[in-house]
Formats: sequence, structure tokens, C-alpha cells
Amino acid sequence: MVGLMETAPTARLQLHDLQLAQGNRTVLEHVDGAFRDGAITALVGANGTGKSTLIQGIMGILKPVAGRVNCTVPKERRAWLPQQLALDLTFPMSVEELVMTGSWPSHGALKGYCARHYRKGREIMARLGISHLAHRPLGELSGGQRQRALIGRTLMQEAELLLLDEPFANVDAETVDVLTTVLRDMADSGVTLIVVLHDTEQLARLADEVVVLANGHAHWTATEAVLQGRTPQSPLVPLALGLTGANAC
Amino acid sequence: MLALLDAWLLAPFDYGFMRRALVAGLALSLAAPPLGVFLMLRGMSLIGDAMAHAILPGVALGFLLAGFSLPMMSLGGVLSGLLVAMLAGSVSQMTGHREDSAMASFFLISLAAGVMLVSLGGSSVDLTHVLFGSVLAVNTTALVLIAGISSVIVVTLAMVFRALVVESLDPLFLRGQGWHASLVHGVFLGLVVLNLTAGFQTLGTLMAVGLMMLPATTARFWSKRLEGLIGIGIAIAMASNLGGLLLSYHLSIPSGPAIILFAGAGYLVSALVGRHHSLLVRLGRRAAPLGAPEPH
Repeated sequence: MVGLMETAPTARLQLHDLQLAQGNRTVLEHVDGAFRDGAITALVGANGTGKSTLIQGIMGILKPVAGRVNCTVPKERRAWLPQQLALDLTFPMSVEELVMTGSWPSHGALKGYCARHYRKGREIMARLGISHLAHRPLGELSGGQRQRALIGRTLMQEAELLLLDEPFANVDAETVDVLTTVLRDMADSGVTLIVVLHDTEQLARLADEVVVLANGHAHWTATEAVLQGRTPQSPLVPLALGLTGANAC
Repeated sequence: MLALLDAWLLAPFDYGFMRRALVAGLALSLAAPPLGVFLMLRGMSLIGDAMAHAILPGVALGFLLAGFSLPMMSLGGVLSGLLVAMLAGSVSQMTGHREDSAMASFFLISLAAGVMLVSLGGSSVDLTHVLFGSVLAVNTTALVLIAGISSVIVVTLAMVFRALVVESLDPLFLRGQGWHASLVHGVFLGLVVLNLTAGFQTLGTLMAVGLMMLPATTARFWSKRLEGLIGIGIAIAMASNLGGLLLSYHLSIPSGPAIILFAGAGYLVSALVGRHHSLLVRLGRRAAPLGAPEPH
């Protein structure tokens, strides 16, 4: 299906007739589209419709069965923030050390950090309100604090493409506010963001456009259309897309 | 007093075999604990033990073909260790079974095959030597080999250090950067095999893993930071080598078990009085009042 991407043929991330499968089961097919640069695109869909599969395909972790992903963003500038449970929280690493790991992909494997890196790391932690946690081990953080630290790593990485899988799950309201502001600032500075969302309130606050996943296909549409239930699969209602929140039917 | 110290600490090293054993032990102490720290942090503590058994058939084959030739036995050990690691990984991938269960099966097969091979071609003394090592056997060739392997391990570890940290903490971050997590894992297992091969001469195949794991698990009681774990682990391994060799010399006991038991005593003492998670800390723990400065 072709969507809003027709207006952006030079977008840094484009999908061409993409087919993705998990094992022998095709999850998505004939996915055609481009993600607008400097915009926040929400991925919505009920459980099992292929949100995580599409993210894996975009990151190159899942090879396409057919079609291709065209991404002109260098690998070291691509960041993927999976759900928090993927982290080994027993690993002895502090918040500051985690944030600094964001510089590794571009900085190289052997070089040490210089004052500029540490200064940047401190600025990022201050921006995210976690300066006071700099030396605290990851295992002692709350869900919201950990999510801020992980976003700090992507800021350190100077990501140009950021994929987030349910970034607001199990985090406090203050963290949602801080992260919403930071993600919007990133988009305004030209970063392409793709965010899996389940909450209509967050969708309304954050998304510039929406990709709806249903029945093995992807449909690009405007945020307002999803919020009002006018999706390409009309008469879909938010609950059918796996959305919850104040505006959900 | 000075004479006593001299007799206990310095006089044993008048002998060349003691000096060579000490240098070999110190070289191993630089390479083994960092690997042990990563094995521990990756939840693979017992994989090291399995790999120690995996090198046995190769060591035995080297022994059968060339007698007590350390280069041949080491080569055999490396090849059989890598083969078992690859077979276990392949079986795990093909069957979907966890890697540790495949590894457990292969290490038992390896142990039996190794003991069988040594028994076929040698005496029980030979078997004891392969299984438990001997400082007397560390000649200059062995020393150069052990120091060389340790150097290769330290340099390689430095090169993959960041990838290893990221893969241990967050494998998906590494994969997102286009790294193959299995490649990092494979290089790491290869280093473990190399280290065990270097260590079997002094400690024996069964106890070489002790110099990896005991300093690492002991360091956990003294530091919460990765650099701290590695630094303290190396210090403990060095102290254990020195202490174990001296005990071995003065009490006429086998050097391998003496070194590992020395490290084991350090573990037990640390479990009782260490800075973190020890019995002493647990007994004296009180909740800090709100607003109190954070402990580091």
C-alpha cells in the first residue's frame, strides 16, 4: 500500500514491496512506504500484527523474504530501543557508563573518552533529569529512570534514525513528559523517529503521522484519522488497532 | 625475622623451576580473571568448567602422538576445545535446545574420551599430570607458550572489550550496529579455550578454570564496577599463584590444587567479610535515612 510517503521520495528510510516472515509465517507483505525525515511516525496495530517484526526488518536484523529496505542513515547513527526487559540489569554498569556507550559505534573500539565526551554525557543526563543518578547501577533504577538513561544513550549516539518499542510502558507520568519533549526536540532537529504506541493520548501528543498495521499490510495515514476512527480500514476503531486511552472507544 | 621471611618468601625462588612457574602463573593471572568476570556476568560460570573438559581429548591426542610436548598438547587442546564449542553451538541451533545442555553433553563425552586416550597410551602418572598439572614441567618452551597465549588473550580481549560489554548488557544494541552477536560470542569462547590450554600445564585441565572463576567470583564481594571486578580479580589471581606456589614448595603438596585452594580460601573469606553482599554486610545492614548521601 502506498501512503503519505509519495510526497517524500528522497526520504532516508524507504520500504519497497517488503515482505517479512517469522519462521514460515509471513507477517507483513507488499509494504511500500517512506518514513518522513524529521517526523515522528507511530506504529500502531493489535498484538501480532507485525510491529516488532517491521522494526527488526528496518534494523536489518530480520532479512526480508522479498522486497527491500532502503536506508541511507549510516549504521552507527541508527538506534533501536527495544522494550526494557531486553537489558541484563545485573550487569555492573552505571547510568553514566550506559549513556557513554552511545558514543562507541562512531568513536571506535579502542579509543578512550576525552573531556568533550564526558561533558556531552553530563549535558545529556542534565537534559533528561538524571544527573543525580550518574553513578547509580542500572539494576537500582526505576523503569522511568532506566528509560531516560536509554534515551540518553541514543542522544549520545547522535542517532539520525531512532526506533522505539513502547517507550512509555511502565514509566511514570513525569518521565513521559520529559521523554515527549526530548523526542519532539530530536524530530525538530531532523531525526527520523518511529515509535510503537498503544495509547491514544500519547498518539495525539507525539505522532506526526501513523502507520497502521493490520491483516499483514501497512497503511500510512494521518494521526487525526486514526484518532477519529477514519483509517484506511474504516470503520476500524482504536481498540481494534490495539489502542487504549481516554479517546479509545 | 628477616631470615624467616627470606626462607619462606624468597629462598624458594632460588630454584629455576619455581621462578618459571611463578612467571607462568603471573602471565595466566593477567589473562584468566577478565575472562572469568565476563563468564560470570554472562551467566556462563559453568561453561568454563565444561570447556576445561572439552580440551582434554585434544591434549590426550597430542600426548599420544608426541609425548609430553607442550606445543603439541596445547594445539590438540585448542582444536578439541573449539570443536566442542562449535558442535555444542550447532546442536543448540539445530535442535533449539539451550547451549548449556548441549555443552554439558559434549563435555562429558570429552572427559571420557580424554581419560580413555591417556589411559591407552600412558600410565596413571601421565593421567594425573594431564588432569592436575605440575610446576616441575614448566620449562622455557612452556613458559614462552604460556606467556605468548596470555599476551594474545589480553590484546584480543582489549580489541573486543567494548563489543563484549555491549553484548553482555544489551545484545540488541550490538546487533543494531550490524555486529554479529554470535561472532563476539565465538571469539570470547575461543579466548576461554586458549586460556584453558595455556593453564593446563601448571594447573591441569580440570583446575585451569579455577584461576578464571574463583578470582572473578571473589571480586564480586569487593567491587560493583566492571573495571574493579577485573582489577581485583587479577590481583587475587596473582596473590593466589604466589601463595599457592609457596605453600606447594614448603608443604610438598601439588602446586595446582594449592593455587586453587589459596584462591578458594580468598573466596570464603570474602564471602564472610567482603564489602558487598557478604555475610558481614548483610548482618550490619540498616536502611539509610531519607536524604542521606548515596554510598558508592
